[in-house]
Amino acid sequence: MNRRSFLTALTATAATGVLPVTSRAALTTPFTFELEPPMDERAAFVDWMANNRGEDRGYLGQRWDRLQAMAESKDVWDEVIKRAFLLTPREEFVPKVNRSHAYDHNFLDIGFGVTISGPHLVGRMTNSLDIKRGDKVLEIGTGSGYQSSFLAHLTDQCYSIEIIKPLAERTRGVYDGLIERGYREFQNITTQNADGYYGWEEFAPFDKIIVTCGIDHVPPPLLKQLQPNGVMLVPVGPPGAQRVLKIIKDVESDGSTHIARTDIYNGRIVPFVPFKKLDGDKISGTHST
Amino acid sequence: MQNSPELTSGIRLYIAVGLLAGAVISLQITVMRIFAAGNWAHFGSFIVSIAMLGVGISSTVMCVRQPWFERHWRSVASAALLAFGPIAVGANLLAQQLPFNAIFLIADSSQKWRLAGNFVLYLLPFFTGSLFLGAVFLKTRQQFARIYFADLVGCGVCGLATLGGMWIYAPDHLILIPLMLWLLAGIAWAATMASTRLLLGLAVAAFIAWSGQTWVADRFELTRLAVSEYKGVSYAQRFPDARRVYDRATPFGHIEVYASSYLHFAPGLSDNAALNLTEMPDNAYLGLYIDGDGPIGIIRDLPAAQTAYFDYLPTALPFALKKDADVFVVQFGGGLSTASALRKDARSVTVADSNPAVLSAFRHDPTLREFTGDILTKPRVKVVAQDGRVFLSRTEQRYDVVDLSLADSAGLSNPGGFAIAEKYNYTSEAMQTYMRALKPGGILAVTLWNKEEPPKSVLRLYATLVTAAREMGEADLSRCFFVVSNYLSTATVLYQRGGFSDAQVKILKARARALSFDELQAPGKQPELQGSDGVMAAYRAQLFGRLHSSNDASLPASSLAGADDDLGAQTGDAPAIMPSVALAQAAWQALLTDQWQNFADDYVYDLHPLTNQRPYFAAYLRPVDLPRVLDRLDLLQDEWGYLLVWATLIIACCAGAILIALPAVFGWRGLLARCPGKAGTLLYFACLGAGYIMVEVVLISHFVLALSNATVSATVLITGMLVFSGFGSLCADRYLDSARRVMPLIFVAIAALLIGYGLCIDRALDFVGTLPYGWRLPSCFLLILPPAFLMGMPMPTGMTWLARLGKEQMFLWAWGVNGCMSVIGAAMVPLLATSLGLSSALVLAGLLYLVALPAFYALLRPMTAARTG
Repeated sequence: MNRRSFLTALTATAATGVLPVTSRAALTTPFTFELEPPMDERAAFVDWMANNRGEDRGYLGQRWDRLQAMAESKDVWDEVIKRAFLLTPREEFVPKVNRSHAYDHNFLDIGFGVTISGPHLVGRMTNSLDIKRGDKVLEIGTGSGYQSSFLAHLTDQCYSIEIIKPLAERTRGVYDGLIERGYREFQNITTQNADGYYGWEEFAPFDKIIVTCGIDHVPPPLLKQLQPNGVMLVPVGPPGAQRVLKIIKDVESDGSTHIARTDIYNGRIVPFVPFKKLDGDKISGTHST
Repeated sequence: MQNSPELTSGIRLYIAVGLLAGAVISLQITVMRIFAAGNWAHFGSFIVSIAMLGVGISSTVMCVRQPWFERHWRSVASAALLAFGPIAVGANLLAQQLPFNAIFLIADSSQKWRLAGNFVLYLLPFFTGSLFLGAVFLKTRQQFARIYFADLVGCGVCGLATLGGMWIYAPDHLILIPLMLWLLAGIAWAATMASTRLLLGLAVAAFIAWSGQTWVADRFELTRLAVSEYKGVSYAQRFPDARRVYDRATPFGHIEVYASSYLHFAPGLSDNAALNLTEMPDNAYLGLYIDGDGPIGIIRDLPAAQTAYFDYLPTALPFALKKDADVFVVQFGGGLSTASALRKDARSVTVADSNPAVLSAFRHDPTLREFTGDILTKPRVKVVAQDGRVFLSRTEQRYDVVDLSLADSAGLSNPGGFAIAEKYNYTSEAMQTYMRALKPGGILAVTLWNKEEPPKSVLRLYATLVTAAREMGEADLSRCFFVVSNYLSTATVLYQRGGFSDAQVKILKARARALSFDELQAPGKQPELQGSDGVMAAYRAQLFGRLHSSNDASLPASSLAGADDDLGAQTGDAPAIMPSVALAQAAWQALLTDQWQNFADDYVYDLHPLTNQRPYFAAYLRPVDLPRVLDRLDLLQDEWGYLLVWATLIIACCAGAILIALPAVFGWRGLLARCPGKAGTLLYFACLGAGYIMVEVVLISHFVLALSNATVSATVLITGMLVFSGFGSLCADRYLDSARRVMPLIFVAIAALLIGYGLCIDRALDFVGTLPYGWRLPSCFLLILPPAFLMGMPMPTGMTWLARLGKEQMFLWAWGVNGCMSVIGAAMVPLLATSLGLSSALVLAGLLYLVALPAFYALLRPMTAARTG
């Protein structure tokens, strides 16, 4: 076995090892779009999720705290998005070695030269997409699988393409493992290992498209597969300091199509807010600590 | 002072010292190559810091325990020499198993420890090498000038040999070059010591080192070079159908070309291509990677139907006005601009590239020739195997279109690690050269990535182009520029000599509309000064926070309620014009109406135009603003090359201070107390250490101007400086007795030369750049000769006098101070160059040599007798 395949196997083992070996309470309340965990109090949320979804109380607490910080900085603003965030077990999509940082403000390495974006960015992108139930969403660059798992709580039609085969297989394995544990919302995600440049003709057109791979232009086949008045998001720039391009395929009243570029802040410049860590309701730390 | 008789002279000793010093410098170059190939930058100042810190630590250790080292010098020197090879191999292998990822330096705290691990591991061989040299220096201190000559000449010649070795070995095996030099040094040392046991030990050490690098690494599947998973080439390797079709190790970089159906290139393509085109070509590209960075797109020789998308690229804009054009492509890269010009029926296309290894690949490799339809030998294509900027400055040829499109910026996958690198192709002087090379009515087209928010590179480019046009004496600047951008994609500036006519402007506007590009500046456009103040304030708030709350983490969250106004309206309509577009339009109006200085002063980043003095698309953050962003460095991911230099400087200052202070703590009140002029001596060697390295590092950057290639420039400088200084050192030996009389003249001459060079070397280098390459090399050596020769004299003179005066402990300490200050000097150069200009480092070095003059007399004060009671 050469080093590369050894490391690949090791990473894959680590990834499948994301399923904690310790005994875990069972998921007794499967997902429905009507599912409403308590959202007005931390303790109530943690209790409910631990009892009904069998998740770890520590991560649940961190998830709640992170959401408060994201809401504070207006990275999420719709209740339905907040609910989706609270229902998505981000820690399952982070390699074991980094799992204690799963709810940090930062992006993290997941191997293969790919990162999982910070929760604030995923939140902001997802909220900007304004996804309605039943929307058909295509993601180019499955990566960790976190973005699609978030989307799966908003619509039942998520399609995701990953170019790197071992990563595509690893993430598929994570979804399958979670589905087996009762997370049936992840059945809403259809994945494929392919070149995302050409989109996914079989399921086109899409209402929303997210492109997370590095490319020097917006692939014309993807723009073609975007529904009229559809929205596409393309993060641009280095991880951590990315701007997210928002492309809207406007169809005018005369039938002509116009493609407009803006960003996920709708052209607003957001001031730096030097807080990020909330310990309960209290701030405990600055942006990077 | 009892010198070993066998060590006072002898060619074998000089050879051993020269070769081992050469092995150390060769290892330094090797480690830089390893970092360049595995990461995003050679981490030049970082590596120099490690090496010099090795010198600092070894001399501190020896200084503190000098009597012991005096007694055991033979064993110390021999053991250090024997250990150098195995330690170099072992440290490198271990470091490669512990790669750090610069992208995560801020996001992932464990990366700091990995970086520290790399630092310590690479420090070991440099420490070992310095220990050998220190022990030998200590024993030959009476003849220091000669041994120093051997040291410097050895470094210079072996540096050159390492460059030659890059033709043979790729970075993963380049360490074999310093190993060979070490082996030869060992043989010479064993001959000096006349010891067969030593020879035997050397054979064992060599066996360990060689087998470590080859057999052990293979057997245990240890990587010899950990290439970051985030490098362009790593992505290419993961594409399922990726095939490497070209692979060549050269001093101009490790050139690789990969084929894969997953590669797609159309830099800056208009979104409208999707609405109007029926197809994009399949399997049409190869990816070119230099030191793993890229991809630079290489396009297949396609039928016209499949290249229709070229019309939707920003590079096609000038051809809306120019038919049957004579085109000059400043940088060939992978040939996209060339292919685009050919498709646009250019009458002739002259392409330049300063990287001979790239041109050679396209000219001689059968796969590349077939794939590109032998693009470089097409009848309409003429190739210039040198820097386009340099060629244009001396040719009589004139062109309809000069194209500078996305040169040097393959960086699709570049995660923001922009190292501080000289971009002489983009300076105001270069732009004037391009402008002069235009026929009347000719167009200069410059395209740059426009992916930054707040924008910075593009604003520097605009300022540079307008500065250049103003220097050209254009009567009405506003008629000369037509500028468009595509949001978070590219920006393109068209400049026409003499200005665009109304009819031309109409055509360009129509084209820009057809591509849905934003119009930033067009001749005849009515000024609409609106909104840039608000955008400027918003950008400041984006980076620094609101004034009332910046840096104040103690404020309750409720005080941020005011922020809601800015953050709200999440789902409202976007403005008709994006803020960065409005800002760029305002920037152009400021540039064309002499309001630029105010605009630039108010902006969140430093926007000075690029000149040959400050040729950088880097260091946007003003140093004065640094303390305000320390808690939010993640917002500045694309500045980490610059931030790392600051970090290196701070660490170097701390480490240097400790190392310099240690001997003082241990010895100041003891033996050192009898050495008068300590402070002066310290100052003397501090000035020499910082001054010398500053000159060397800054001239490497300067000489790229004439030599067009950073690797060649580094080699010419390292070799030239060290060899000429070696001869200076030898010459100093003759003037030791009259040092009091001669040295003042030397110092004044050095200072005058350096300050003089600071003021006019770029003009001299510009001229040298116009000579044929065969003449450029000797001309550069000739330029280096006077200061390098003279700068070789003060160090051995000072060291020998310390030895003559019996200041043994000061001798080692001085050597250490010199090493420590070299670290600080090396780290200071990029910071000085980016904020004050390259010349400032030369002027400062000149001043340091002037300061060293009075300090020299302090050094010469004789020892006082030991006092009792």
